[in-house]
Amino acid sequence: MKMDRRFLLRGSCQGALAVMGMPFLDCFLDSKGKALAATGRPLPTRFNTFFFGLGLTKQLWIPKTGGKDYEMTSQLKPLEAFRSKLNVFSGLRVPLDDNPNFQHWSGVAAAATGISPTKQSEFDSKTIDQQIADVISHGTRYKSVSASAAGDPKQSYSSLGQANALPAEASPLSLYTRLFGPGFQDPTKGDWKPDPQIMVQQSVLSAVSENRKDVMKNLGASDRARMEQYFTSVREAELQMAAQLQRPEIQAKVAIPDAPSEAICNNALPNLRAVVPSMARLGALALATDQTRVFNLSVSEPGSQIFMPGDSLGYHQSTHEEPIDPVLGYQPRVAQYNVDTMELFAMLLKELDGIPEGDGTILDHSLVFAFTDQSFAKIHAVDGLPIFVAGGASGRMKAGFHVAGDSSPVSRVGLTIQKAMGVSLDVWGKGSMEIRQPYTDLLA
Amino acid sequence: MRTLAVSLLSATVLASVVGISAAQAAGQVASLRRLTQEEYRHSVADIFGKEIEIRGAFEPTIRIAGLQSTSTGILSVTPVGFESFSGMADSIAIQVTSEKLRGKLPCKPKSDKAPDDACAAQILNQYGRLLFRRPLTAAETKRAVNLSRNLGKSDFYNGMRYGLASLIQAPDFIFRSEYAVPAGNKQYTLDPYSRATRLSYLMWNSAPDGELLRAAEAGELSTQAGLSKQVDRLMASNRLEVGMRAFFNDMLELDTFDTVSKDSILYPKWSSGIAASAREETLRTTVDLALHANGDMRDLMTTRKTFLNRNLAAAYQLPYAFKGDWMEYEFKPDAGRSGVLTQVSMLSMFSHPGRSSPTKRGVALMDIFLCEPTPAPPANVDFSVVNETDGALKTVRERLMAHAGNATCASCHTHSDPIGLSLEHFDTIGGQRTTENGQMIDVSASLQGKTFSGAIGLGKFLYDNPKYTSCIARKAYAYSRGENSEDVPASAFKNAYKSFTDSGFRMRALLKAMVEDKDYFNAPAPETGSAPTKLAAQ
Repeated sequence: MKMDRRFLLRGSCQGALAVMGMPFLDCFLDSKGKALAATGRPLPTRFNTFFFGLGLTKQLWIPKTGGKDYEMTSQLKPLEAFRSKLNVFSGLRVPLDDNPNFQHWSGVAAAATGISPTKQSEFDSKTIDQQIADVISHGTRYKSVSASAAGDPKQSYSSLGQANALPAEASPLSLYTRLFGPGFQDPTKGDWKPDPQIMVQQSVLSAVSENRKDVMKNLGASDRARMEQYFTSVREAELQMAAQLQRPEIQAKVAIPDAPSEAICNNALPNLRAVVPSMARLGALALATDQTRVFNLSVSEPGSQIFMPGDSLGYHQSTHEEPIDPVLGYQPRVAQYNVDTMELFAMLLKELDGIPEGDGTILDHSLVFAFTDQSFAKIHAVDGLPIFVAGGASGRMKAGFHVAGDSSPVSRVGLTIQKAMGVSLDVWGKGSMEIRQPYTDLLA
Repeated sequence: MRTLAVSLLSATVLASVVGISAAQAAGQVASLRRLTQEEYRHSVADIFGKEIEIRGAFEPTIRIAGLQSTSTGILSVTPVGFESFSGMADSIAIQVTSEKLRGKLPCKPKSDKAPDDACAAQILNQYGRLLFRRPLTAAETKRAVNLSRNLGKSDFYNGMRYGLASLIQAPDFIFRSEYAVPAGNKQYTLDPYSRATRLSYLMWNSAPDGELLRAAEAGELSTQAGLSKQVDRLMASNRLEVGMRAFFNDMLELDTFDTVSKDSILYPKWSSGIAASAREETLRTTVDLALHANGDMRDLMTTRKTFLNRNLAAAYQLPYAFKGDWMEYEFKPDAGRSGVLTQVSMLSMFSHPGRSSPTKRGVALMDIFLCEPTPAPPANVDFSVVNETDGALKTVRERLMAHAGNATCASCHTHSDPIGLSLEHFDTIGGQRTTENGQMIDVSASLQGKTFSGAIGLGKFLYDNPKYTSCIARKAYAYSRGENSEDVPASAFKNAYKSFTDSGFRMRALLKAMVEDKDYFNAPAPETGSAPTKLAAQ
């Protein structure tokens, strides 16, 4: 039996609840709403990523001035409601050094790893969400959870490096089932108790791991690495089991809804508009109930195949084929798709900000890193990649700024985020993107 | 002399591999492939019964050099994937040990309410051998028996649930390893169990059955006669169709359908039902030609024979006048259809949601049927000129031609566009048309020194092109070995290709010659320093 002292503590809290009939949440809250009562630990800060393909239109999204009082631009308009909780980064450089500009990929990899990639569709290291998950996800059921609103499990920009992309849940129903389906013990309910099956399953996993030495014999280097990954995954499943023996400490007052119905998940914009809020809501609930602390949502692949029914070109083809309007100076149809994706981003922020928790909302206790593949998709340009960081990281990140182009590499944002998330590191990125100086002004 | 050398080699192999206690204890792992979803499903159905339900998500594979199977030799199991494998293993084991199905287990315990190590070992050994595709080692059996005893406590079958689940989620099942053993003269070859495994997944897309494992154990797969006998047996089975469906599904990239969506305003007729039917149509056509008719694989490019269901009859605008789900149908000679090239599958998979794409079609078909990948486009291309639909450029051809006038674009577009342009009489969902924006569509094409017109011309062009038949052989070889099709030297499948040609391009001839080639089971020398120091014979 692996029930530890903390489990018993919480068990007795639950016991008291049953006897005294008090609302169970109160027994977990401290008076200030900043920490968890049972352990006095601070609320966990969560991390999210939002991936959208094909960037934005330079003339329409970059505010004219830097700092806090910038004038809202037309493409950022959908984010207006979250302005005070949002940082906008423009003019970031993406130096690729000696590597090719892998179309619709180099920018993604640079933003997510601080490394110019050496292969199409593969990250050269763990992505930022996984680097952060290694630090913040101890004791949660899932180290991270990813979802693809367009319904493709491969549309995940969360990776353990190389070919080890972490597949995304590809419908609201599958996301729901993973998070709140069989095996989920609802911490918002008074009758929470650990499932005795968990300890049995832990023994099965130990038996699987015991074979490790034999299995690792006689493997060449690359196969050895793959087999190591398998056993790392077994180990993670064991940790996941251990986490489920403890009642998650939560503050948010939420109720887990019934399972959503099947939805059509594809690249058609009207479908995305229905699916994104649904997935975002489930992700927010997962964070609120501490099922995971890292949630990744993508709305398209790089080179977004999003299309508005009736538009035979669609988003990606438009970026390459739509002429630049000589009067406007940009591609009008592309510009509309740009705004559409910002609306999808706003849907995620709305759900995160819609769940009160302690002295703020889930968004206040999170960071959301939004990134893309191109700055000017028409010519596959990467310099000037639009990047957004939303949320307050439980007070560790200042927000509301437009950080105007100072020629910093895009990795500077990643370093700053990790500092705010409490990751202990001094340097991040490689080659010309190796950076030691975070945006200290943004760190509280 | 050569024959003698070969038979001596076989004898050496035979002597060196019979009687080993555990294959993996002796061999070097030459390749490690994660089971695909279909391989997993068929294996479980064959090992535990078709009534076992498998519910869970499988980690995606990726396509490398035209084949998803290639990625199985590169991918690992992420935490998300393992979570799913682990859950499925438990669910399968619950079903296998359920009251309803436990009667199928090879022994009954002395009492349901107490451990019975002897019976547990018998069950675990029997299923373990099928799951791991080799006998369990003594240590493996012991571990699983102990686990069953400790967790089952006073319930034998509950214990078996955990013992079996531990095997079903073990890497020895989830990955299929190929073990190389020294074959003398610094050569390496696959051990018999690895041979059985490779053959079985190629032919049946499933784990080796008892007979094949027996033949492996008896060393028969290491002799030409024994191998040939088993190959004939595998190929005589109906299950060869399962294996060939898997191969053609991969080679024809039919999994692309998983993410195809069409514009519901421009093409309201399209539905997910059509997508599923179109995939099935192509598989039926291909497998029917390859196996049932034992036909000439070149006919795949030109045949007018196909299979239709109600969805497809509507898609092809044909009257649906038949009973049952599927019906054989032959397009009229003047229908303009040519083999799988003009099936809804190929035409719709490689198009945009709202319009056809000669480039996408060209790139895909060059790769699928000619094994000629198109290089990625250069980074800075101005595509605007190809989109001026309101201006002088009315058809896709005119737009593409304009942009292929640019030297950097031209090198690739002249490579891939002709095939796509010849298919422009078909829209993004495979419907026929003759005009685009009021202009007659020109479907003439010139490729690799040949000129042709339309789908019929393209079909003929490919039919006559030895690169097409060679590409089938190359992909089959790479698919079965989990290798990169672009890295396979033509010499590797030279003998197989000759048999394929001599037979008039019969798929069965290709398969048999390929797996019976003396070099087919050769393995690369182990990486430095990690070679097994002793021969397998103990």
